[in-house]
Amino acid sequence: MDAKQLKQFLQAEGATLVGVGDVTKALPKEIVHLNRGIAIAVNRNLTRETVGHLVRLQTLAEGWLKANGHRSLSIPPDSDRRKDKLITKLYKLFCHKTAATCSGLGWIGKNGLIINEQYGSKLTWATVLTDAPLGADRPCVSSRCGDCDLCVRHCPSGAVQGHLWSLRNPLREIVAYDKCRSLKSGRTALKGKPNCGFCVTVCPYSRNGGARK
Amino acid sequence: MADETRKKEILDKLRNGVIQYDEDACREGAQEAVAEGLDANEAIFDGLVSGMEEVGRLFEAQEYFVPEILMCADALYAGLEILKPHCKQMDLGVKGSVVIGTVEGDVHDIGKNLVKMMFDVAGFTVYDLGRDVPLDKFVDEQLKTDSELVCLSAMMTTSMVGMPKVIEKIKEKNPNCMIMIGGAPTSKELADKWGADGYAEDASNALKEAIKMVAFLKKLRDEKAQKK
Repeated sequence: MDAKQLKQFLQAEGATLVGVGDVTKALPKEIVHLNRGIAIAVNRNLTRETVGHLVRLQTLAEGWLKANGHRSLSIPPDSDRRKDKLITKLYKLFCHKTAATCSGLGWIGKNGLIINEQYGSKLTWATVLTDAPLGADRPCVSSRCGDCDLCVRHCPSGAVQGHLWSLRNPLREIVAYDKCRSLKSGRTALKGKPNCGFCVTVCPYSRNGGARK
Repeated sequence: MADETRKKEILDKLRNGVIQYDEDACREGAQEAVAEGLDANEAIFDGLVSGMEEVGRLFEAQEYFVPEILMCADALYAGLEILKPHCKQMDLGVKGSVVIGTVEGDVHDIGKNLVKMMFDVAGFTVYDLGRDVPLDKFVDEQLKTDSELVCLSAMMTTSMVGMPKVIEKIKEKNPNCMIMIGGAPTSKELADKWGADGYAEDASNALKEAIKMVAFLKKLRDEKAQKK
C-alpha cells in the first residue's frame, strides 16, 4: 500500500511533516495489531490553533484509512488529552517519539526532545496508529547531535545530562526530568507560567530551520 | 410521547452511535430522547446497551479490539451522562452500591473501568476508589457506604496477594457483603480459596461478563413489560 498518497494528502491539508514508521517492537499487547505509526508534525510558532490543527489532521488521516478499509487509533498531542475518558488510558502506552524516530523524521536530542534536521525541536507531534500495510520509512537509530552541548550549558535546572541517544542503549537516562519538573513547577507557582524552553530555542537545528523558513 | 417511527429512529441513533464509537451521535440521540419525552430507561437499554451487546459480538468475532471497545464505552458514557438524570429508579431486584478499585501496587485499571461501566449502566451507585488503592481503604469505604458489593482488581501477581487480606477483613466485619475479584492472575480456584464470590480474568472477559449481566437485566425488563 502506498504511503505517498496519504502523505501528500496530509501535507496539502497543512501538515509540516508526515512519516510512516514500522513500530511493531514498541507496541503493548492491547494494540499489537496496529503496527504502523503515522507521525504527523506541525511547525509551531506556538499559536493556540496548533493543537486543534493537529487533531483535525488526525481525523482526516483516520477517515482516509477507514475509507481504505483499515483500523486506526489516534494518539492526540500531549496537551490535548482529556483525563476523564476510558480511551485516554491507552494513550500513554505509546509515545510520539517512537513514531517520529521509527519514521525517520528525527532523533532524540540531548535535550530529550525530537530533533528534526530542518525544524529542530520546534514541532508539535501527533500519532495515528494503523493496521494498514503502508510502506515504512527508514528509521532514525542514533543521535546526530555530535559534540554540540548548547542545551546542556543553557539548562537552568541542570537536567540535561549531555548523553547521546541511541537505540542500542534505550534505557539510558538522557534528561533528569525530576529536576526539569521542579524548576518548571517552581516558576509556575511564582509567575503562573513555566517560562523555560531554553533547550528548544538554543538548539542550532531549531534556529536555522526556523530562520530559513 | 413520540410516535413509533421517530422512537425507533432515536434508538437506532443511540445504538449505532455506540457501535461506531461516535460520541457526538450518542449525545445528540440522548438529547433528542429527552426532548421528545422518550423513557430514559428504554433509551439506555434498547439504545445504548443494545449497541454495546453488538460491540461484544464484534469483539468475540475479532472485528473489534481493545481500542475500539474503549471508544465504544466512551460513546456509551456520553449518552448515559445525559440520560441518567431522567431515569426513574428501576425495580429489577438489583439496586444498591458497589465499591471498586485496583489494589495497592497496581496501576492497571482498564478492566476495572469496564466493569465499572456495567454497574453505572445497571443503575448502581459506584464508589470508584481508582487505582493503587491501599488495602484498608477498601474495608473503610465498604463500612462507610454499607455497599453490598466490593470489586477488587489486579493485573500483577505481586499486587494480587493483597486480595485475601481485604476479603478476610471485610467478611469479618460484614459477612453478607459480596466480593468479586478480577485481573489476569486470578482464577476460579483462587476466588474459591479466598472466599470471594466471583471473578473475571481480564478486561475482555470482564466486558463479556458485563455485557451478559446487562443483557440479562434487559431481558428481565422486557419480561416485566410483557406481563403488564
